[in-house]
Amino acid sequence: MSTQSAGDRQAAPPTGEPLTERRLGAFRLQEYALVIVVILLFVAGAILKPDTFPTIDNVRNMLTQASVVGVLAIGMTFVIATAGIDLSVGSALAAAGMFGGILVDPEGSTLLFIAGAIFFATLIGSINAIAIAYGRVVPFIATLAMFSIARGVALLLNDKLPVGLLDLNGGSFGDPAAFSLLWFGTGRIFGIPVSVYVFLGIVIGGWIVLNRTRYGRYVVAVGGNREAARIAGVPVRRTILSVYVLMGVLVGVAAVLLCARLGSASPVSGNLYELDAIGAVVIGGTSLAGGRATIFGTFLGVLTFALIFSLMTQMDLSTEVQQVVKGGIVLGAVLLQRPEAKL
Amino acid sequence: MAPTLEVRGLVKEYPGVKALKGVDFAVQAGEVHCLLGPNGAGKSTLIKCVSGVVEPTAGEILLDGKPLPVGKPAASLERGVATIYQELDLVEELTVAQSVFLAHEPRRGPFLDLDRMRRDAAALLRRLGHERIDPRKRIGELRPAARQVVSIARALSHDVRLLIMDEPSAVLDDGEIETLFEVVRRLTAEGVAVVYISHRLDEIRRIGDRVTVLTDGRTAATGLPAATPTERLVELMVGRAVEQLYPERARAAATDDAEPLLDVRGLRRMPDVRGISLQVGAGEVVGLGGLVGSGRTELLRLIYGLDRPDDGEVRVRGRRLPPGRPDRAIAAGLGLAPEDRKSQGLLLDWSLAKNVSLSDLARFQRGLLNVRAERAAAREQLRRLQTVPDDPERIVRELSGGNQQKVVLARWLLHHCRVLLLDEPTRGVDVATKAELYRVIADLAAAGVALLVVSSDNGELVGMCDRILVMREGAVVFEVDGAHASERELLRHAVAPTETADLIEEVR
Repeated sequence: MSTQSAGDRQAAPPTGEPLTERRLGAFRLQEYALVIVVILLFVAGAILKPDTFPTIDNVRNMLTQASVVGVLAIGMTFVIATAGIDLSVGSALAAAGMFGGILVDPEGSTLLFIAGAIFFATLIGSINAIAIAYGRVVPFIATLAMFSIARGVALLLNDKLPVGLLDLNGGSFGDPAAFSLLWFGTGRIFGIPVSVYVFLGIVIGGWIVLNRTRYGRYVVAVGGNREAARIAGVPVRRTILSVYVLMGVLVGVAAVLLCARLGSASPVSGNLYELDAIGAVVIGGTSLAGGRATIFGTFLGVLTFALIFSLMTQMDLSTEVQQVVKGGIVLGAVLLQRPEAKL
Repeated sequence: MAPTLEVRGLVKEYPGVKALKGVDFAVQAGEVHCLLGPNGAGKSTLIKCVSGVVEPTAGEILLDGKPLPVGKPAASLERGVATIYQELDLVEELTVAQSVFLAHEPRRGPFLDLDRMRRDAAALLRRLGHERIDPRKRIGELRPAARQVVSIARALSHDVRLLIMDEPSAVLDDGEIETLFEVVRRLTAEGVAVVYISHRLDEIRRIGDRVTVLTDGRTAATGLPAATPTERLVELMVGRAVEQLYPERARAAATDDAEPLLDVRGLRRMPDVRGISLQVGAGEVVGLGGLVGSGRTELLRLIYGLDRPDDGEVRVRGRRLPPGRPDRAIAAGLGLAPEDRKSQGLLLDWSLAKNVSLSDLARFQRGLLNVRAERAAAREQLRRLQTVPDDPERIVRELSGGNQQKVVLARWLLHHCRVLLLDEPTRGVDVATKAELYRVIADLAAAGVALLVVSSDNGELVGMCDRILVMREGAVVFEVDGAHASERELLRHAVAPTETADLIEEVR
């Protein structure tokens, strides 16, 4: 069944493999499977805790909490697509929040806080980027070092103390004024939290950039085969540099969402968020070896995590148990990725 | 006496595909039996069945008249079936002795017997006539031919009855191939049976005793004498006569006054490239001959900007290229089809379309990428090259080597390349597809593209090129008009003067 559309009846060497596998077929399958997992988890929650789980309030809560890690996970998808990793995002998030916090303490505007947090996170991301792209430090090591540095900086910035942000532009829990900082974390438009809009906007933007721009193609090409990408004219170093800077910007956004929800910036926040973000990406089907990435999968991965932890919290399982489960899920997801290598 | 290997009615089905549809052939002790066939004919599946890596669906495999357990690599090995694969599976960091005895190291109690390992490895190498290879050397320090010998020594470290060699010559140059043949002759003299797979028909005549041709999973002919005329073998393989391997083409007229498209001046990067100047004009095909390791690939990498030269410059249409910038080289109209398509040319898990468009994405981006236009453009180029399949959605990994090469070429056709650098464009490609690639090269030249082609197949250089430069130890040592070149002359200039006499003698 070789397709010989060309005029010449040419001896077309038939490939020895099955011809049927459509592009990334297995990969799509994982996304479909995840949709089912998300639905099943929700149904399970509804059955186990019919009074508290399938409520508008709980869904709203889950999505609000998921949006912080969700924003990180979208950035992480780009980083992992290049076969990289960023372990510093949790610490960097805390440092960015603290930097924005001391900038507006005792008085300042929401805008200044947002600008400060994003600036500082971008700065941290850029240091990672330069160390990795130009200093040729392995991403794992460069960002592991930054993991420690950023946490230290977060603690140093205000002498280990959190900064209160409740008063920024007239916010108060329950009914924050529009565009006050708290509004970004707890305000709603048509009943949906503002932070969820931010998250969804970044998901859609991320999908477009990854799938429908030259830049997105370059990102995945660099992860798939760096040498082949270079020979095809892809600016490899600039591309690698850019994903860590982009990750930094998104860490800043996530820091804003978190501080806006809590009404304060804390130097110990964001602990282990890197694991949540990486876990969501891997569960979604993006290959840790690079060369294959799916924003939609990451989105589903974030939802899966959110549902599992909401459910466990409602079942009164301790955070220690949740931590064990979280690590187990990530390990399992990576193990499941393995057989694809043989395809 | 029973043949060493006898295969009867071997069938192997994969889901959706019958890779072998009934293969019969027999190999006698002490003979070199060549296995021929186009890519995808089932050669690899056949040898994988024999070596036990793959379990056949039906059929029998007899070794010395007794059935060989199927699907058990360890059992095959124990019965004396050793396989040397095309991609050498040696670890660069290990020493020669460690490599030879990898996974069956001699021991004394719980400890490795290093002395014995070294002694035995040396003895095996001596048996192969290569006592000069030091068992203490690391694999990484050895040249490809020597690595090949180490692979064979490893095969011999088991008691070998049948040695299967899958395109062993693909990474070797002419001189090294002769060394390899010498080893093969020693083995057959000891009664070992050899199955030899190669796409190069000249080799079959040099080393083979008998030939079996596979096409489409079946034995097309078996037990043919190695002296069977080339036309007959090609016909059997392709199912029809290939009228002409090399297309007729109007040789580019020597245009002295016109500015060369590619102008390389004094390019140097020690120790691989020692000051090279060359010009390629529009519509000209210039060949780069020489041995593997003579600096040809390194020269192409310098021209293309993958490495930075110590000295010298590259001009395309008179404009100087910035060193170390392949993206700028591509913008100036250069293209490179690298030596190793799989690891350097392609993203194997990507679709054909994305591989073809990668160097030209700017063209499809108006705000967002126009994926439909991208696919259509890729399909057009793939069809033009008669790539099979030409469905732009398919994954490159599934294609045969020749068709993968066409995907690389399609990229540069899409880019409207003015200067194309081809590094071993037909390596590992079957004869029919080779003829097609030559056709493409001729068409490109006719369209005014300047081509610089590295090849270790001297016949190909003579058949295709307007001009041939021979490199040795990083320098161009000989230049000849393609119409007046002979393979023997190219070889003579490719090897160092001292080696020349015996080598020519042997090759003859």
